[in-house]
This record gives sequence, C-alpha cells and structure tokens, in this order.
Amino acid sequence: MAIVLEKVVQGFYDRLEEGKICGRKCPKCGAVEFPPVYACNSCGNYETEWYEISGKAKMHSIVMPAALSSKPEYKALGKYAYGEIELEEGARFNAVVRGISKKTRKDLLDKLPLDVHAAIYQRDGYKTVVFDLDKKYIEN
Amino acid sequence: MNQTNLNKYSRSVSIIGVGCTPFMYTVDNPETDGLTEGELFGYAALKAMEDAGVNPQDIDFYFHGEASPLNGSNYLTPNIQIANWFGMKGKASIHHSEACCTGYYAIEQAVNAVASGKYNCVLSGCVEFGDSLAVPNHPYKREKMTMEKFLQTTAWLYDRNYTRSLMAGQELIYDDAAEWYKRTRGLTDEQMDDTINWMSINNRKNASKDELAIERRTYEEIARDAGFDNVMDYMRSPYNPKNGDYLRMSGIELKCDGAAAVIVCATDMVDKYMGNKSHKPIEVLGCGCAACEATTPHFEVAATEEAVRQVYEVTGVKPEELDLFYANDFIITSHLVSAEIAGYLPYGEGWKYICEGRTAYDGDKPINTNGGRTSFGHAHAASGLADLYEAVKQMRGECGERQVKKLPKTTMLRGYGGAQNICTYIIRTVD
Repeated sequence: MAIVLEKVVQGFYDRLEEGKICGRKCPKCGAVEFPPVYACNSCGNYETEWYEISGKAKMHSIVMPAALSSKPEYKALGKYAYGEIELEEGARFNAVVRGISKKTRKDLLDKLPLDVHAAIYQRDGYKTVVFDLDKKYIEN
Repeated sequence: MNQTNLNKYSRSVSIIGVGCTPFMYTVDNPETDGLTEGELFGYAALKAMEDAGVNPQDIDFYFHGEASPLNGSNYLTPNIQIANWFGMKGKASIHHSEACCTGYYAIEQAVNAVASGKYNCVLSGCVEFGDSLAVPNHPYKREKMTMEKFLQTTAWLYDRNYTRSLMAGQELIYDDAAEWYKRTRGLTDEQMDDTINWMSINNRKNASKDELAIERRTYEEIARDAGFDNVMDYMRSPYNPKNGDYLRMSGIELKCDGAAAVIVCATDMVDKYMGNKSHKPIEVLGCGCAACEATTPHFEVAATEEAVRQVYEVTGVKPEELDLFYANDFIITSHLVSAEIAGYLPYGEGWKYICEGRTAYDGDKPINTNGGRTSFGHAHAASGLADLYEAVKQMRGECGERQVKKLPKTTMLRGYGGAQNICTYIIRTVD
C-alpha cells in the first residue's frame, strides 16, 4: 500500500447512498476508524482500508436533547438521545440513538450499556448514520 | 488515546506583569460604545507593561489571540491591524485562535518562545468582542451580536465532514460532562441539579467582589427581589430554566467584550526587566495540552485527564500542593469535573465541596475567584488571560475583599474550548 490522496469523505457518503456503512480498517493492527480517516489512531499506521461495519454497537451513556441541544430539523428523528457509541469493531464516538424518550430513559440507564444498531438516515441533501435501540428494549 | 510526554523547559520563565480590561457589553453603554480592538488590546497590553515595569521597546515579540476575528472584527491577520497601539511598531507578532481556549494557549505560546531561548521578554494578549460585530465599511461602529448569529458562528467550531452530519458532538457540549459526573459518581438528579446551581451561586458571589466582572449582583439579591426567601428555591424555579438536559440558564456563559495581557521573561533576567517593582515574579512550571475533537466520547473529560497527567508529570507537583484553581467554565459543569480530575477536589466529593460553599473565594478550596464565565463574563479569547490576571493578583495578595484566606503559592489553570482544546498549566510564586 501507499499513501494515497483520496476522497475518503465523499467515499463515505457515496457508500451510504449504496446502503453500506463503512469505516476504515488498519491493515497493521486491525483497528477500525469510524468515521473513516486516512491513518490509524491506534497504532499510527499511515494507511487504512475501506471496511463495511456490521452495524452492531453498544450505547454507554444517555443525554437527552433540550432547548439548547436540539434543532428544528431534528424533530424528524422522532424520540432520540445522544450518547457514546462503541461499534462491535471497537471504534467509539458520539452519535444519535433513536427510540429513547425522557420517559424510558430512567429504566434504560439501569441497563447500560444498551444494544443498538446503525441505520442510514436521510438529511437535507445527503445521508448520514444514526443508531436505533434494539427491539428488545422497546418491546419490554 | 494518544499521549505526549513532555520535556522540561530549556530555561525557567516567569510572569512579571498582567493587565485586563473590565469585561463589558460595549455597545450597551455610551461610555464604551465605539471602543475598538486596538483600544482594548492596547489598554490591557500597556497595563501589563506598567505592572511589569517594562518599556514596550524592552519586549521582543508579541502573541495576539482572538477567537473569531473575521466574524467579530472583519479582520484577517488581526495582530497586524492593532500593531501600532502599544509602542511596539515594527516588532514581530503572530495571531492564534483556539476559540474559548485561546487565552490559555496564549500563556503556553509566550512561555515556549522564551523557554526556547529565542526571546527574553514576550507579551501575550487576547481581545474579543463576543457581544458585538463590526459594522462593515465603518471605522469603529459595532452592532449587537444576536443569539442567532452567535449560534451560527459557534457551529463553525465543529468538523464539517462528519461531526455536524452525525448531529451529536456539537450538542453534547452542554450536558455530557454533567451526565458523566452524575453517572460515574452515583449522584441523583436532584444532587446534580443542586451542584450546578451552587456553582452558579459561588461564581456570582466571587464576581460580586470584582470590579472588572460583568455581573456582580448575587443570586441571593436576585432571588429576594423576585420574592423568594430561599436562593435555592429561586435557582430551581422557572426563573432559572433548564435549557439543557442538566444545564440551567445560570450555568451558561455571559458572552461579552474585553481584553487581557501578560508579560513573561526569563526568570534569571527578572531583575533587568522589573527594575524597582517590588512584586514577586510567578514562574510557569509547566503546561499540559491535549485536544479531542467533538466526536470523541466525553471529549472534555478525556482531554483534561491527559493534559493534567502531562503537567503533573513534567512539573512533579502533587495535587495537594495546589492552593487555587481556575477552570474555563462557559458550561459551568467544567469547573466541577476539571477540579476533580486535577485532584484539587477529592474524587466523588467535589460536588459536596461546591454545595457547602467551600469553593467560593472565602472557602478552603477556592475556584474561579473572579466569578468565571457565568459571572465575570466570557470575552472568548480574552477569558483565559483574565483568569491568569486574577490568579496573579490573588498570588500577590492584591484582591482586597475577595482575597482568598491563605495566600496562594501554587495555582493550576485549566483552559477549554474550540471543540475542544485543553491547556492546563501550573504557576508558582518565586521566593
């Protein structure tokens, strides 16, 4: 491999249009970068390769949106919260998780970390990634 | 997370002079409406020179900090545009911006420049019009910054490629630290709410004794005027609404205008520069820095832990040696979480110290004796150096009514901002 001047950002969003959620995997240590970037932040390797994630993840914290921390366009998300996400592949980052309300938060806090799964979400002009609470919590 | 191990400075550097303007809503007052960047920065710089006893020509170089010069001042290269205001025409300078952390990186930059041996005496100053915008094509008029415009510009702090798209990082700034603290320390919602309110009360009590602070009316006075007998009843009421998951109105910065400056020189050259000045120089022992972009979980906590680790490791200072602590608390929870991470307050107990008033200026663990961002005010870039100004005045025993009980010898300051930079340094009075 060599260091390549590559449109990683556009590649990420193009793949979402194709229904694929991708990060970049380090060929040296196996760590997955999500969202995708050039180099590995775990071992420092210069290169990473496209890798489709499974979408399975854990949610480790719950913060509810409020007046300061929401925008009118977020209403289309339905009930949601913010939190720390850990992908099955190991990457950790902040994301939106749908299916959590102020009412259900209390019970869910006792069950942290929660099983969640990635979904492709249409915003104005492009697709992005959000997460959904696994069905087992909603059915209960 | 990646870590950095620091080396000691090549030579010792000390603070010999500080200056600070009042923090103001300049356009709201006819006496201050029309003030300019050069006038604010120039005032702070000249006050710092006077304090140090140096002539502008003694200074080799200056750093200029402004968080948002294009938006607020219609400036690119803002260091050059104010260059002739404080007697240093022709001297080299550089501008830097780390948003709300700018005033903390201002000291880091100045110390590095002297510690390297390149310069012997350096000025570092910051200015911000956080509450107003330059009127284009007019030489000095400004207009009030609306909240809508402010929020538009703060969005620029966040990564355009992913963070804004994912919708979480930029929204977690308000409540992530509170959620983390409450969950990891096992507080109830009520205990967390009370702690946030007491931080606001303590900050305001401190600011009430500071003539440079933008808001000096205590919450006890405000509550009484609103018909409340008990200040906490007021703080929990709709007069102080929750506009975050945990955060209330009283825990958010008061954005405003101001400037501050510092002069540093090589410690072994203090006598040359300070002349007949009698105050003791204050040595910058070390500075730890880290940065976590806003998609990083618990970005403030993670970066503060790393920066604090660095500064303790390189200086050899122990948490129990700290006499005074400052945290850039534009989201007020910052001052709780950073003081605990630094070990200034004991793990899991910090919230109790705050609720018992022990972190006010007259307590045994004073924090933000100038009132912090929610009461002294937040002139974004300038706030860090305003905190340093206050720390230096406290360490010299020059704070009058708000002077802390025990003359501080060692102080930690923790900067935060710019989604998110952390810059933490320890200063100590030279005997």
